[in-house]
Amino acid sequence: MKLKEVVEVVQGTVLTRGSDLDLEVKYCGAMDLMSDALAYLPPGCMLLTGLKTIQTIRTAEMAYVTAILFVRGKMPDSETIQLAEELGIPLIRTNFGMFESCGRLYQGGMSSVPLTRRYP
Amino acid sequence: MIDLQTVIEQLNLETIASIERQNRPVVGGYASDLLSCAMRGAKKDFLWVTLQSHVNVVAVASLLNLAGVIITEGNRPSPETIAQAEKEKVILMLTPKNTFSIVGQLIALGISGE
Amino acid sequence: MEFTKKQELIYNLPIEHVMRKNVITVTPDTTIRQLKEILRINRISGVPVLDGGHLVGVASIEDLIKALEVGELDVPVGQRMTRQLITVLEHASIIEAVKKFSQFHIGRLLVVNEKGTLTGILTGSDITRGLLEAINLNDHAKELKRNPQIIFREDIVSDQTSLILRYHIKEKDFKSGGSASSKIKRAMEQLGISPQILRRVAICAYEAEMNLIIHTNAGGELIVEIEPELIRMTITDRGPGIPDVEQAMSPGFSTAPTWIQELGFGAGMGLANIKKCADSFTIQSNLGTGTQLDIVIQL
Repeated sequence: MKLKEVVEVVQGTVLTRGSDLDLEVKYCGAMDLMSDALAYLPPGCMLLTGLKTIQTIRTAEMAYVTAILFVRGKMPDSETIQLAEELGIPLIRTNFGMFESCGRLYQGGMSSVPLTRRYP
Repeated sequence: MIDLQTVIEQLNLETIASIERQNRPVVGGYASDLLSCAMRGAKKDFLWVTLQSHVNVVAVASLLNLAGVIITEGNRPSPETIAQAEKEKVILMLTPKNTFSIVGQLIALGISGE
Repeated sequence: MEFTKKQELIYNLPIEHVMRKNVITVTPDTTIRQLKEILRINRISGVPVLDGGHLVGVASIEDLIKALEVGELDVPVGQRMTRQLITVLEHASIIEAVKKFSQFHIGRLLVVNEKGTLTGILTGSDITRGLLEAINLNDHAKELKRNPQIIFREDIVSDQTSLILRYHIKEKDFKSGGSASSKIKRAMEQLGISPQILRRVAICAYEAEMNLIIHTNAGGELIVEIEPELIRMTITDRGPGIPDVEQAMSPGFSTAPTWIQELGFGAGMGLANIKKCADSFTIQSNLGTGTQLDIVIQL
């Protein structure tokens, strides 16, 4: 799914300037714990999260996450947005919660990150 | 209105605690891994989807009188969490799938959330 | 392993690009007494000796000591200097210098032009600094000068130029959390390390960095050593230490308070994540003394 389609599906707004909305995201993962995102997200996916700290951006940077969708109307501070701009990670914000956002994207055809059971 | 038993069957969930009262209704869903968000966002008879399996999950579910908690990504609660869930009559359901796809399936079943 | 960009640099970067050009020299009639003062004031261990602009020898601290032992303070340097000249051409690539360093076991090379005129001097740390600058790590190089947070071993060059990055992580500084890992990731990107490896290195570094921020009393150190075959990370702190390492390693075990979990960390998956990403991972901890993580990722 292209980022501009994501924006449409979740009725979102783009927070970062100069972001390429034609970027394609293959999968999507929804989590609020960054260690989980680090362990679990494959490169090139989109992260749905309600966590809006600078650590969210750092996590995306380390794990090669393509874009971040902030749910529950969370608005990151300007410093966080600026870091994302520097790193070229588009940020989108939606007023929908995690549940509704997942549902809309799921029904819009977005795939989940590959299902693997991480811990025995 | 959909009940818990249907959700368990349709999503192929494993139940590990408080298997009585599976006919209770599910009126909505909420997803978050942050307990404070769940405290604010989840409501009575909602299903809460999270990867957290901490004992405090049981406390939140009990406090809000949730229909149940779906613990995702193959995370397994500790014996302490299970014991607490039994005690507080909180229904815990497990799945190896992740939050995104479980929520997708819940929505497909007609459960809505914010 | 793929050190392609760096290897390319070693082969392509000319010595004149990294050598020091302001060379302090003496003449053969400089006395040993004067030599002693020149070395002391400039804090150097040797100087080239020029006679009418021509390079004729090197007067080192060893030559000085030998002369002092026999009280030859007023003997001219020309009589006591080393006449064997190990030189490299300024247009040669730094790989030539690296070869000579290890061949002759010396710390300093004389750089000359085609006519044999001395144009500069080169040490191992000049090469490392030059390489860093060449791979656009200017901020690191500046930082190195200002504050030796990032250190390079003097013997680095004969060891195939391994690179050490060192970062001090401050406790409870959530705002900066991840900035050291970000620098590490960027440095490695520029060294041409593959994204698959890089992702694992970045995740290990980041989890370790966050652990220092969340759990330590007085911060700690994150050291990354890039060798030709592997990347080694050493993370040390001075406490409080982990009471039960095995328990701490098990996924989901956490001692972090809820407010840290609300920041998205402290869910008890950090060490498990490191273990998953590392080829080898050991952890040593003593209550009160501190914890050390040793992480190795093969290239």
